[in-house]
Amino acid sequence: MFIQKTGQLVIYGLARINDCGDMIRKRILERLLLSNRFHLTIVLMAILFATGCADMRGYLAKSLPLPGYPEDAIQRNDFVVAKDEDVIGRLAMIRLERGDTLPDIARHFSLGINNISAANPGVDIWVPGAWERILLPLNFILPDTRHNGIVINLATMRLFYYQKNGNRLAVSTYPVGVGTEERPTPMGEMVITRKKHRPTWYVPASIAADHRKKGDPLPPEVPPGPLNPLGEYALYLSEPSYLIHGTNKPASIGLRATNGCIRLYPEDIERLFEKAPVKTPVLIVNQPYLVGRRDGIVYLEAHTPFQESGTANWKKAYAKLKHIEKQSGSLLDWKKVKEVVIEARGIPVPVSADRDGVGMAAAQPIRLRHPGQLFGQPEIPAFNTDAWYVLAASLRDKTDAQRLAAIINHQGPPIPAGVLSEGDRHRVLAGPFDNRRAAKDAAKRLKIDLELDAVLFET
Amino acid sequence: MKKMILGLCMMSVLAIGIGGCATQKDLEAVQAREKAIAAKADQAAQDAEDARMAADEAIEKANVAIERAEEAEQRAIERERIAAEKERMAEEKAKEADEMFKKSMKK
Repeated sequence: MFIQKTGQLVIYGLARINDCGDMIRKRILERLLLSNRFHLTIVLMAILFATGCADMRGYLAKSLPLPGYPEDAIQRNDFVVAKDEDVIGRLAMIRLERGDTLPDIARHFSLGINNISAANPGVDIWVPGAWERILLPLNFILPDTRHNGIVINLATMRLFYYQKNGNRLAVSTYPVGVGTEERPTPMGEMVITRKKHRPTWYVPASIAADHRKKGDPLPPEVPPGPLNPLGEYALYLSEPSYLIHGTNKPASIGLRATNGCIRLYPEDIERLFEKAPVKTPVLIVNQPYLVGRRDGIVYLEAHTPFQESGTANWKKAYAKLKHIEKQSGSLLDWKKVKEVVIEARGIPVPVSADRDGVGMAAAQPIRLRHPGQLFGQPEIPAFNTDAWYVLAASLRDKTDAQRLAAIINHQGPPIPAGVLSEGDRHRVLAGPFDNRRAAKDAAKRLKIDLELDAVLFET
Repeated sequence: MKKMILGLCMMSVLAIGIGGCATQKDLEAVQAREKAIAAKADQAAQDAEDARMAADEAIEKANVAIERAEEAEQRAIERERIAAEKERMAEEKAKEADEMFKKSMKK
């Protein structure tokens, strides 16, 4: 509403400026017929004023979010890298619809849960406000590495696959899930040694032990299917036991949740699997602070660093910024730099001291139209009277109940769940299930994965 | 000589009588003035008493108002504390839920 009103004001302002320009030009023509100095002075002043108006119009057009139709689509994965530039993509903005969760929005736009939650601090991941505006950080600074093969930046949880096409450098980028603090993803140079469609998961001894401890013993190998955590595609790396693979838990993309492997959304691993041949080099780095340039503007993208790597990485980024400032002769806004580092929102932010002009307009978010159905969004089935259900929890707070239901919906494989409200009791029900066995399996998963003491019942 | 002395005495008595009469009037006037002053004093005292009572009443009212304001402030502080507590608890619950979710996303 505010933006709409501002937009109307801007249009009105521009129209007035235009009118004003026309009027002045008319007067200029009349005055030109006169020849004395006084009139010449007036003519010169009018020209200057008219130019001022035109400049102002240009300035407003560049700096204010003009109303207009939101875009239907935006490039999310595939970009061309311009020569001497290392910032790709556009920042976007979308308005949520009822029932959306941030993981749903993240998946639809090929972002990780880390990207979307850092870009939108204070927004409830699972129960955001309806119609809330969400920033989609679909612009990225390329890691400071070689530009060929696969490069994975652990700090930003993003994979880049570079392909040279003649003189043109193209890059495909996907969000990833990486290893936990206890089992971190190894860094360094490696290669893809083999590829496998519908891989079998041979359960490593350490993971088997963890599951035994939880009371959920695993078989020695898990065949392809919905229970296989590798998903449908796997790229085996030269670093033994480490893979780039799909997942049966898409909501884990953008989390430190693996045992060192790299996870991608099922739809992204499928594309990477097709593109990247065996022997593709893979470089894994950890760069939480990225510095890049586009259209002559210097950008800084800061992510919350992994505990163990913050200071050293910042020193490198700081040195790079200082070098750019010295080399280019144009000043940087160091106050802004500090702000970007402290906020760590994972969005490339212009930090050049002179931040006016066309380059800055490109840094503004573009509005996107909500696609209606989000890709991969779990469907919440209606309650029916001839089915098995699992009572996961009975809560007094509706938001808590909605949050829990959303978390259950985003398990992998998904467990359907909804909230049944009655007065001030809000029951989180998983189901419907066709039979008791299916309901029992769901209850077991709720117990093991979410530590919920669920109760089975038949309606 | 005697006649002269008698005359003098009578004149003196007359003078004293005349003077005495004047003193009585004066006295009455003084008494009337005093009464008026006393009445004014009483009135002033009454007014002062009334003013003091009014002031006491005002103070009492002010005290009551202060007490009510303090109570309202206390209630507001309490409401704020409860709201903050609720917010903290909501945040904590969201955090707990987030932790639970992250844990469930591991293999």
